[in-house]
Amino acid sequence: MKKEITREDLMKLDEFCYEIPRSFRPDMRVPAQVYMNERMMDAILGDRSLEQLVNVSTLPGIQKYALAMPDIHQGYGFPIGGVAATAIDEGGVISPGGIGYDINCGVRLLSTGMKEQELRPHMQKLATAAFHAVPSGVGRGGKFKLSFEEIDKVLRDGAAYMVKQGYGTGNDLEHCEEGGCMHNADPAMISDRAKKRGLDQLGTLGSGNHFLEIQKVDKIYDEKVAKVFGLSQDLVVVMIHCGSRGLGHQTCTDYVRRFMSKIADFGIELPDRELVCAPFKSQEGTDYYNAMAAAANFGWANRHMITHLTREAFKSVLGKDAWLTTVYDISHNMGKLEKHNVDRNEKMLLVHRKGATRAFGPGRPEIAAVFRKAGQPVLIPGTMGTASYVLVGLNENMEQTFGTVCHGAGRRMSRTQAKKSVRGSELRERLEKQGIIIRCESDAGLAEEAPMAYKDVDNVVNVVDGAGLARKVARVVPLAVIKGG
Amino acid sequence: MNNDFELVPHTADIQLRVYGKTLKDFFRNALIGMFQAIGPKSSACKKIQGRLVCPDLPEKREIEIISIDLESLLVDFLSEALYLSDINNEAYLDAKIHEVNEKRIRATVYGVKITGFEVVEVKAVTYHDLEVKQVDGVWQADIVFDI
Repeated sequence: MKKEITREDLMKLDEFCYEIPRSFRPDMRVPAQVYMNERMMDAILGDRSLEQLVNVSTLPGIQKYALAMPDIHQGYGFPIGGVAATAIDEGGVISPGGIGYDINCGVRLLSTGMKEQELRPHMQKLATAAFHAVPSGVGRGGKFKLSFEEIDKVLRDGAAYMVKQGYGTGNDLEHCEEGGCMHNADPAMISDRAKKRGLDQLGTLGSGNHFLEIQKVDKIYDEKVAKVFGLSQDLVVVMIHCGSRGLGHQTCTDYVRRFMSKIADFGIELPDRELVCAPFKSQEGTDYYNAMAAAANFGWANRHMITHLTREAFKSVLGKDAWLTTVYDISHNMGKLEKHNVDRNEKMLLVHRKGATRAFGPGRPEIAAVFRKAGQPVLIPGTMGTASYVLVGLNENMEQTFGTVCHGAGRRMSRTQAKKSVRGSELRERLEKQGIIIRCESDAGLAEEAPMAYKDVDNVVNVVDGAGLARKVARVVPLAVIKGG
Repeated sequence: MNNDFELVPHTADIQLRVYGKTLKDFFRNALIGMFQAIGPKSSACKKIQGRLVCPDLPEKREIEIISIDLESLLVDFLSEALYLSDINNEAYLDAKIHEVNEKRIRATVYGVKITGFEVVEVKAVTYHDLEVKQVDGVWQADIVFDI
């Protein structure tokens, strides 16, 4: 049932929102909606992301529409930048591919409390210290080796367990989505294979597009909210982008395999095997959701420990009083049980966000108490040498996108193309000319992550802001980029 | 054009086209192709014409898998190799496939200790567009890896 999607198939709903109606394909249960503008359209039509979005719209129990954010690009099963909410009381399914292999890949923002002028003289040393402090964990392990017993505690209590062990503070948890721990997590639902992989990966970045950046706030769009978030002009911040490492990847792989053997029993027809799913209320569905939460907890514990290592690195350069305060921590590969209005009825939905970030507005009980009046901070990382953004969630967005926005810039060029057009060493030189310090193990890895391989993050964020999905609060730009280690 | 495996351009991940005259060759080439594509780092080995060549592959692991169909078998086989690679810090650059059919494989994989990967680590083997088929008597498939 593969039909190529062209401009003619897209109905323009308004300046930033386009729809592929149900009539496009007989197996669609709901329409597919994409947030984008004219500029992005050719790139989006250029890969299979919209076809994948149409496939998502066939999932049992899916509500309202299958959604795509402006940074949409081709994934497996779900497009990256995809959102699907299923009604769990109406046979709605949960799909591991709708959450991603890197469960709880996300972003944490930390504040140094100091301005660029004060820290400029130390920047090279800080970058070097951070590079040595935080391992990529690829091929070599992390600094916190866990036993099988201990890892169960991390899986159950996430970042909260690490605070109990004396790392970081309760303040870190208060400024983290879910307080750094989802309580339905069940360590028994994580396989021994996944646990073995996680034992020496706590406090490691991983590779690919994961990074640690030292940045500064270079523009404030909303003074009032910026103040609530603790952000000000020229403030130096640190951004960490990573997930649940091999433990998360193995967990998703394990459940995809398990679901694959049961899909015939569920009587679900899949247009794409990567969309494999199970009814949320089945044993398989429940087990995966509780495993996902445990893997997510590992991800939060991971970012928490990387925060600890980065604090130690800063102290080694600036003295023992140096500190990094957690501004916020968001997840952009996640499944959450949330109440949403659908046709004026309140329903319990399993909201899949894959390469998409929750962005709840003021008053929502799920948001950390400290932000409940202002709305949830939303962290959108850019790519090396480009800006990242802090946004705030809006209530108006709940109806439109189940309170969701994009996650980053989204890839446009293939990795092999990126390597051909930009040599890692050239890229390093170019970025260094802009005054950005780079600490990276592999020049090949650098070239693959070249900013030109990504869609323009400014454009993506402007669509999100223009469509009223979230509001810009601040822009941050990199001073130093650390990848691998 | 290679007759065992080659990289295909892909938007965000790694796509490998694998060939094999027999199903055993095909599975062996898929394993080698996956590890070669991500550039294992080992001081004992040398890069010759873009591929890592090792004088010796002293590490040995056994893999035995039962799956529901041929594509799942391929995904499960490569996933198992990734798991072994991660926990042992090894990369497998050769394999002896003892037996393979549509639903079962038994193999020994041979490799070296590594200090990391030059390119990237693989998050997962995906089912994206995965179809293992014979074209003019040669087994073939495009495998997409999430990285």
